[in-house]
Amino acid sequence: MPARDGIAAQCSVLDIRDYTLDYETPHGVPVQALRNVSLSIRPGRTMGLVGESGSGKTSLAWAIMRYLPANAAERSGRIELLGEDLRTKSDEEVQNLRGRRISMVFQDPGTSLNPVLRLGEQIAEALTRHRGFSAKEAREESEAWLARTGISRPADMMNRYPHEASGGEKQRVVIATAFACNPEVIIFDEPTTALDIITARQILDLFDDLHDETGVTALYISHDLGLVSRVAQDIAMIDRGEIVEQGACEEVFGRPRHEYTRGLLAAVPHPDRRIVDAAPAAAGNLLDLKGVNVSYGERKSILGFLEPKREVVRGARDVSFGVKPGEILGIVGESGSGKSTLAKVLAGLQEFEGTVEFDSRTYSRRRDIDREYRRTVQIVFQHPDASLNPRQTIGKILSRPLKLYNQLSRSEIARRIRELLRSVLLPEEYSARFPHELSGGEKQRVAIARAFAAEPQLVICDEITSSLDVSVQAAVARLLVELQQQTGTACLFITHDLNLVRQLAHRIAVMQNGDLVDLFETSQARAEERHSYTRQLLDAVPVLLDSGRQGRDS
Amino acid sequence: MSELVRSPTGMVGLALLSVVAVAVVFGSVLAPYDPQAFHPAVRLTGPSAAHWLGTDQFGRDIFSRLLTGASSTILFGVGATALGVLAGSVIGVTAGVVGGWVDSVIMRTLDGLLAVPDLLFTLLIVTFLGGGAGEAMLAVAVAFTPGMARIARSSVLSIRTREYVLAAVARDESQAYIIGQEVIPNAIGPIIVEATIRVSFAIMIGATLGFLGLGAQPPSTEWGLMVAEARQYMYRSPWVVAVPGIAIAVSALGFNLFGDALRDAFVTRGRR
Repeated sequence: MPARDGIAAQCSVLDIRDYTLDYETPHGVPVQALRNVSLSIRPGRTMGLVGESGSGKTSLAWAIMRYLPANAAERSGRIELLGEDLRTKSDEEVQNLRGRRISMVFQDPGTSLNPVLRLGEQIAEALTRHRGFSAKEAREESEAWLARTGISRPADMMNRYPHEASGGEKQRVVIATAFACNPEVIIFDEPTTALDIITARQILDLFDDLHDETGVTALYISHDLGLVSRVAQDIAMIDRGEIVEQGACEEVFGRPRHEYTRGLLAAVPHPDRRIVDAAPAAAGNLLDLKGVNVSYGERKSILGFLEPKREVVRGARDVSFGVKPGEILGIVGESGSGKSTLAKVLAGLQEFEGTVEFDSRTYSRRRDIDREYRRTVQIVFQHPDASLNPRQTIGKILSRPLKLYNQLSRSEIARRIRELLRSVLLPEEYSARFPHELSGGEKQRVAIARAFAAEPQLVICDEITSSLDVSVQAAVARLLVELQQQTGTACLFITHDLNLVRQLAHRIAVMQNGDLVDLFETSQARAEERHSYTRQLLDAVPVLLDSGRQGRDS
Repeated sequence: MSELVRSPTGMVGLALLSVVAVAVVFGSVLAPYDPQAFHPAVRLTGPSAAHWLGTDQFGRDIFSRLLTGASSTILFGVGATALGVLAGSVIGVTAGVVGGWVDSVIMRTLDGLLAVPDLLFTLLIVTFLGGGAGEAMLAVAVAFTPGMARIARSSVLSIRTREYVLAAVARDESQAYIIGQEVIPNAIGPIIVEATIRVSFAIMIGATLGFLGLGAQPPSTEWGLMVAEARQYMYRSPWVVAVPGIAIAVSALGFNLFGDALRDAFVTRGRR
């Protein structure tokens, strides 16, 4: 790694000392965002800042960038860039600093680029502003940077607008802009979270290459421990505004000292840590999909000519598979692969062609789906905030399936609600609460309880853990598996998290662009005969090894 | 509610509305004079101890007329809006829930009606129905219906694709339950906010109709009519026109500010 001139290897590029930040609230009691944070990054190293949502990791990034909201109150501490305290800088000095000495790569390239400026202009702007380049020089340099980020036709990309580029291409442009002025520090705030699995992997590789090439010092913020273990040499764990542990990656992940780190490490899904028993032996299938097709955007009504023209999109193409009783079948794929479309078809929410056979009954269109089917097949949605009616109490929400499918007396319903809450490890008093009084994980437990209230034979879980934090995710996944094993219900577990699905599914189906491309026993995930796309997906996902180093699982 | 009071707009709006509400409820009791009594000796006098806001061309006490006129003016606005919201919501919710070609037909028709300005549309209806306070109210309600239907529909559409509604569909709830229990309670917020703001427009349109002689008829103390009757004395005694004019503006402002604050409160709650 090339050392930078004038920087001794021992001293830090970015040094944060005892930094405390509060947010003032209208109620008078300030929210503590960061408490006595001390963090130092040595030249050329990548520091991974790991924490769950609300831990203050993004607040820290904004504090370094000197871009805090009006209600932020900095109580104490220093933020030093090569010995200069950024907190004492004037607004003008800070503006000259941003982009030139410290730059930032954001989570969503879709919103971090200006939609009305050509991509080339956006990179060139930084160069003309901070490095005093002429328009022509800036253009040439921008093109060179785009080429370095692996964009195949940089000159062409320069003239495009953000909406004409894919998510991965846009993130490459953002990264090129961040690197273009040779800053001393670059902050990466979850740069791959908004991207698809394979694109994310390519961006990570790009980060590695550019980091080796330029020797820039980086702060890499993420909630994904596997990913951080791959990119960072040093790790800082942040929990509720406090850095609880800091050190070399192998040290922190290999021999975690703080219980928060240990808890988080234990919660990271790992394909070898199975949390289910073997699938029960069963002769027939509970559910059989035969040649299911779904298309979006077709004109359905005679007055369709009044509506704007739309392209027909295939959500699912000729999909056939079966689910055995008591089995957990995982469905994985990138966004737009059609996995949620299948969930909607099976929940009776989506028109389809083909046949669905369930428990020896056959359904060949949505309108055939009857109450008996709807009782025995239940769905849990992705967003716990959206899947519970905000105007109903938890008790009322849980009582609906009971009233709908069983003729129960009022006291029996109350008893069942208490039972259900207990079964998902929530206190009974919660039945009088409204959804907004619960945390995300608790809401998802309620949604699971509602699904199991109907005593179904199949539960469809559509990305139920993907909007939850790592530790909550692990608890919800365990709870689901426990309930599933107790009741013997079959489960369709739809996710994009390959490590998680390998932990809990008996078999895994892989979808790509509406096609079912692969279906295999989980133990056979690494077998030779896997589809090339399956292998690509598996290779793209970093797995956290017990030693703390990242590696490919066998 | 506490958020409403804390915001300055909400506070001012609420204060103005309370004054207006007192006038609506107790106006005729509080009025110091008979609003219709002529006092030929004191025609068109300015504000004085006997007549706080002066007298009009017949020597009638303007303050008393203002107080008694509050109920007809404000209730006109509230009533017209309520009717319009009710009709608009029913149409909008139907369009949003049924969807398909029903939605297309309803919405394209309403789009056509929306192209006609509110006041012009109202005038057209009043001309058709004939003048009078009741007819004018109906006309404003009809003119408001397309706009309210559009808001109700968009509100319903955004709720209809929420996962809790999908969950209800997936478990085979009845259409009535889904609309009544899942969709409407969550879609009602924006409708109420819009309705509150629209009351101010209704008051102004009502006053305009009164002024044009198409709404309330003399000797009503409706504020718009008061402005119209006093118009020819405007240069000699400006307060005769200014007082009811300001009263209209203040109550419209009250509803408008209150509606704005209500919307802000709803939006922050939604975000949480």
